[in-house]
Amino acid sequence: MSERLIQAKDLCVRRQGGLVLDNVSLALGERDFITLIGPNGAGKSVLLRHLLKLETPDSGSVTHKQGLRIGYIPERFQIDPTLPMPVRRFLTLNNNQPADALAELVAETRCDMLLDKPLAALSGGEMQRVLLARALSNQPHVLMLDEPAQNLDVSGQLQFYRLIDELYEKRDLSVLMVSHDLHMVMSSTRQVVCLYHHICCSGAPDSIARDPEFIQMFGGEMAQMMAVYQHSHSHDHTHDDACDHTHHHEVKP
Amino acid sequence: MTAPLLITATALALLAGPLGCFVVWRRMAYFGDGLAHSALLGVAIGLIVGMSHQIGMILIAIIFAITLIWLRAQRLLATDTLLGILAHAALSLGIVAMALLGVEDAEVHDYLLGSLDSVNADVLVYVVLGCGLSLGILMRLWPGLLLMTSSEELAHAEGVPVRVYEFLLMLLLGVLVAVAVQIVGILLITSLLIIPASAARLFAQSPEAMAIGGSLIAGLCMLAGLPVASAMAVPLGPTIVALTVALFVLLLAGRLLVDRLKPAG
Repeated sequence: MSERLIQAKDLCVRRQGGLVLDNVSLALGERDFITLIGPNGAGKSVLLRHLLKLETPDSGSVTHKQGLRIGYIPERFQIDPTLPMPVRRFLTLNNNQPADALAELVAETRCDMLLDKPLAALSGGEMQRVLLARALSNQPHVLMLDEPAQNLDVSGQLQFYRLIDELYEKRDLSVLMVSHDLHMVMSSTRQVVCLYHHICCSGAPDSIARDPEFIQMFGGEMAQMMAVYQHSHSHDHTHDDACDHTHHHEVKP
Repeated sequence: MTAPLLITATALALLAGPLGCFVVWRRMAYFGDGLAHSALLGVAIGLIVGMSHQIGMILIAIIFAITLIWLRAQRLLATDTLLGILAHAALSLGIVAMALLGVEDAEVHDYLLGSLDSVNADVLVYVVLGCGLSLGILMRLWPGLLLMTSSEELAHAEGVPVRVYEFLLMLLLGVLVAVAVQIVGILLITSLLIIPASAARLFAQSPEAMAIGGSLIAGLCMLAGLPVASAMAVPLGPTIVALTVALFVLLLAGRLLVDRLKPAG
């Protein structure tokens, strides 16, 4: 059994009276690749922010493994145009990145042509790659991404998810990602967690697609599409069956 | 013109460049104004308790920052509204307290607009110590502050103690206010922060270049403003600020010209 890097136990978060997170427990182990899905307002970003310890829950706890380093891509990143910040400076801020490590990092994330550009002049796709490089710059154990491809076009999304997959294969990383692009992430994701204030279901993508709660939430068409997509790509990976499929039979509020 | 005045101006310029950048980047102009306005109350408290004006001003700056952070966390009113309330409360209390203490209008006027004979050798130690210490702290915090100015969430996730850094930045601004009151005066301190940094932004390609440029411009204008104000017998603060504005306009024209001459694309 792999060691737990991040463990959330019984998280409850209230916002304006309503429960945004209702008794959510989640564990991220070494080499895990988890994608968090769920409808808008389901509490995905809130959960991620709590897993990062950016916020404190009303009850429950989040524990990090001692010395855990996290690379994070926030949902929104907008640099103030009055701050002149070349990419090179941004990637070396607050870490002691030696020159050769920086060269390797930017080659890996395809930012090598961007080093001398100011952040404010980057396109959406370029910015996401620079943020990815920044997230990897402190040699993280965990990569956390909050809808990293939301502002990219379809081919940009595909390229970005391929890049994440590549990095996951190459580096000793665990990945936890919030995503709307279900059909995109299914080929690389090893485990899907479906959230709607509580964890509705979790497991390998193909088993998720057969889950009644998932079908109820996203509709039969989406489930079918996922199943088909998953089926045609199942030769890509071998980990799927190894994932536990836990199913919580909870009564919805 | 005296040596203490020159030293104070130089120390002030060194601090005003980088701090002014953060005021511009983090949109703290209104905060700087509020902090400056509260300085008069600091002077009054200094007079009542019998301690140096500078210590009184820094004390009030700390109280100002803590009150603002606390009120902001209650999420009842917008930050600029809170700042408006705090700033004008402090300014009116300060002026009333000065009147009750029997401080002459002319002296209050000097605090508001700066004066050539406000710096003497006694306060010079405080000025040099305060500015040196602040500059040291600022250099230490610089990378973390830049990261959290780029993205607060990112800095937080990477382990920068964001709230502590923010408070320290407010504190450093408090020190700057306490020093700057002597020369520029309460009413114009924010302009000493914003105008040089903005002028430097027009040509700066990196955050460090903007900070150093800001210091150079602030220093140049202060050192030029001292003899001008003394020769023409005009208030010091407005003279210095008028010079920074002139330099800003010059650089702005230069920047626009460069943009126009550069071939499109």
